[in-house]
Amino acid sequence: MLNGHNLSKTMLRKSVLMIIFNYCKYRTIGPKFINLNHAKRRNLHISSICFGDPTKSKDIVIYENFEAIKEKNKKTYLEMLKIFGERDVHRRGHVEFIYSALKNMESFGVHKDLEVYKALVDVLPKGKFIPTNIFQAEFMHYPKQQQCAIDLLEQMEDNGVMPDYEMEDILLNIFGRRGYPLRKFWRMMYWMPKFKNLSPWPLPSEIPNDIFELAKLAVERISSIDIQSKISVYQTADIQDAVEDTWIVSGQSITQQKLLSEHNVKQPVYVEGSFQIWIKNKLVNYFILRADPKPIPKEDYDPDDVSHINVPLFGFTPPSKKSLMTRPSVHEQEDGVVLAVCVTGTSGRDSLLSWIRHLEADGNPALAEIPVVFTLRAPEKEIATADANEEENSIEKM
Amino acid sequence: MYSLVLNALVRHINKNKINTKCIKYLKTSASLDAFWERDPKGGYIDTREKPSKTQIVREGLKELKTEIALWSQEVKEHFEFDPNMIFRPGETDIVWQFGSQDSLNEWVVTSDKDHNEGYSSCSLALNKHGKGLFAGELSTRVPKDGRIKRAGYCNIKTIRARKSFKRETFLNWGPYNMLVMKVRGDGRSYMLNITTKGFFDLTWNDTYHFVLYTRGGPYWQISRIPFSKFFFASKGRVQDRQSPIPLNKITNFGISVGDKINGSFSLEIDYIGVEFDPNHKEEFAYEMYRMPKYIVAT
Repeated sequence: MLNGHNLSKTMLRKSVLMIIFNYCKYRTIGPKFINLNHAKRRNLHISSICFGDPTKSKDIVIYENFEAIKEKNKKTYLEMLKIFGERDVHRRGHVEFIYSALKNMESFGVHKDLEVYKALVDVLPKGKFIPTNIFQAEFMHYPKQQQCAIDLLEQMEDNGVMPDYEMEDILLNIFGRRGYPLRKFWRMMYWMPKFKNLSPWPLPSEIPNDIFELAKLAVERISSIDIQSKISVYQTADIQDAVEDTWIVSGQSITQQKLLSEHNVKQPVYVEGSFQIWIKNKLVNYFILRADPKPIPKEDYDPDDVSHINVPLFGFTPPSKKSLMTRPSVHEQEDGVVLAVCVTGTSGRDSLLSWIRHLEADGNPALAEIPVVFTLRAPEKEIATADANEEENSIEKM
Repeated sequence: MYSLVLNALVRHINKNKINTKCIKYLKTSASLDAFWERDPKGGYIDTREKPSKTQIVREGLKELKTEIALWSQEVKEHFEFDPNMIFRPGETDIVWQFGSQDSLNEWVVTSDKDHNEGYSSCSLALNKHGKGLFAGELSTRVPKDGRIKRAGYCNIKTIRARKSFKRETFLNWGPYNMLVMKVRGDGRSYMLNITTKGFFDLTWNDTYHFVLYTRGGPYWQISRIPFSKFFFASKGRVQDRQSPIPLNKITNFGISVGDKINGSFSLEIDYIGVEFDPNHKEEFAYEMYRMPKYIVAT
């Protein structure tokens, strides 16, 4: 009896255990096998998602805010950064915010502004991302945030913006000495100053938008080959019977005037163009006044030829043949003699005719007799974007 | 097994007319998580059709004559043993000069359009005065393929220096210290690239760069750039540990344009040469001080 009682007790325990086991088994793997098409699902949420305001956007990225702004300038851009900073204490979503801010920089016209970049880095919290042990330091602590700061610095580099030491302080406060953005910063501060002012033909940091000012820069740059060059500005209206009313920026040196005065009257000179010169990112069309190249006098002199040696006789050396010539100037090139350079407001034929008349009046009287040939060509390529999309489609199809 | 799966998939696709873009999970390329280089071209495959075997043999036999001539010249020079020992200051030894169609065969012209990575196009030709003209259209427009981040470069590069029977060798510019170029540009800045490709994959992309500024206008300019000014980079990234160019190990020379300015460019080149200037004492223009540990080159 006792045995039987014990047996039933163990049986009971076993059956209870089996029930629990089966319950657990089907709770975990059951739903995978049971088709619940006809069964009603429980609507039990443990998250607070249902209690929030459904009309409120849950987007982490707030890029649309930048695009929604009507008035796009530096002030509104900085205002946006301020709004983000004051939105709430936790300041979540820095990385997304900075990426969207970086993307919209050019439309706000602040992509070359160091102050804005500094304000943008300043969005990141100070101290939180600084590694506290060697493992964190070695395995790129907060990698997304570090990559974001690196991308920001890279965008600065692409736009030719050199950081300053305040930027270093901000980055140090955010990432610490071991941060990868700091490495990027130090590299930039080593290399960028080395190439900033290296160009032998320096230009102002702000290139003027005015075509006249650009033309002056272009002619000055071309004429920098001869320090005696004089840049003069003519008005076509000063010439009688001129059709176009525009300005001409002309460059000519005394050497070129002399070359023109010595020019054979029977040989023509050519007005050629238009050629292109880049002033940073602005294109300027210029024209030249050119003569045919001067033939270089060839002298057949073989230093290894020993058949005609003038032997000194009684200590008297016969005078050697002297052949003197003036050293050719920089304007006498292999492919022609450059006599003057100009940029006109319209790049039209009539303005070039006026240029020749102005040159004649301004110290080149020989131009009255020399025949001037206008060999102008139309701009090499039409500026057209019609087939740009077609081209893109063809690449995408490949 | 793999081909079977692929065949089945293709059949399935043909049957159901599904866009082929759906099969994205079939990867045929190696993963890029290793830092060693698989091939010297960095995965850019030459898609041009290869000539047939018989054609290769026929063309090869034609080349035999010139190669033997080259080789006999080499042997002769070896026994004569009369190398140039005096490098007179102010005398430019021209390495590449434009003037004939043959001179163009020494150059390879590339742009980002070649591998559908952009829209820039360029060409290297002779102008009417017989000078080299590197011209084209630069475009920073990025193709919308989700992979390319930035675009806009055009490049010319010399072919690898070689001995007879197509054996690769190096240019030895050891006795010189200046690069001399006679060019006529358009006001843009160009990048000069001197490649010193080595044996190991780590050195395959070793390149030394410097900027070539051009005046623009009708005048030719002679640019003299000391080799000491060239800085070391690999795959376009300036390296932390700098070193002067190993001038006896030069494999290629190139000029590229990629100044992020959209529009046409033109660079006329007369010659590219080297010169020894005894007054230039500088060995390397960049600081060689010891740098903090675990920060540089990481």
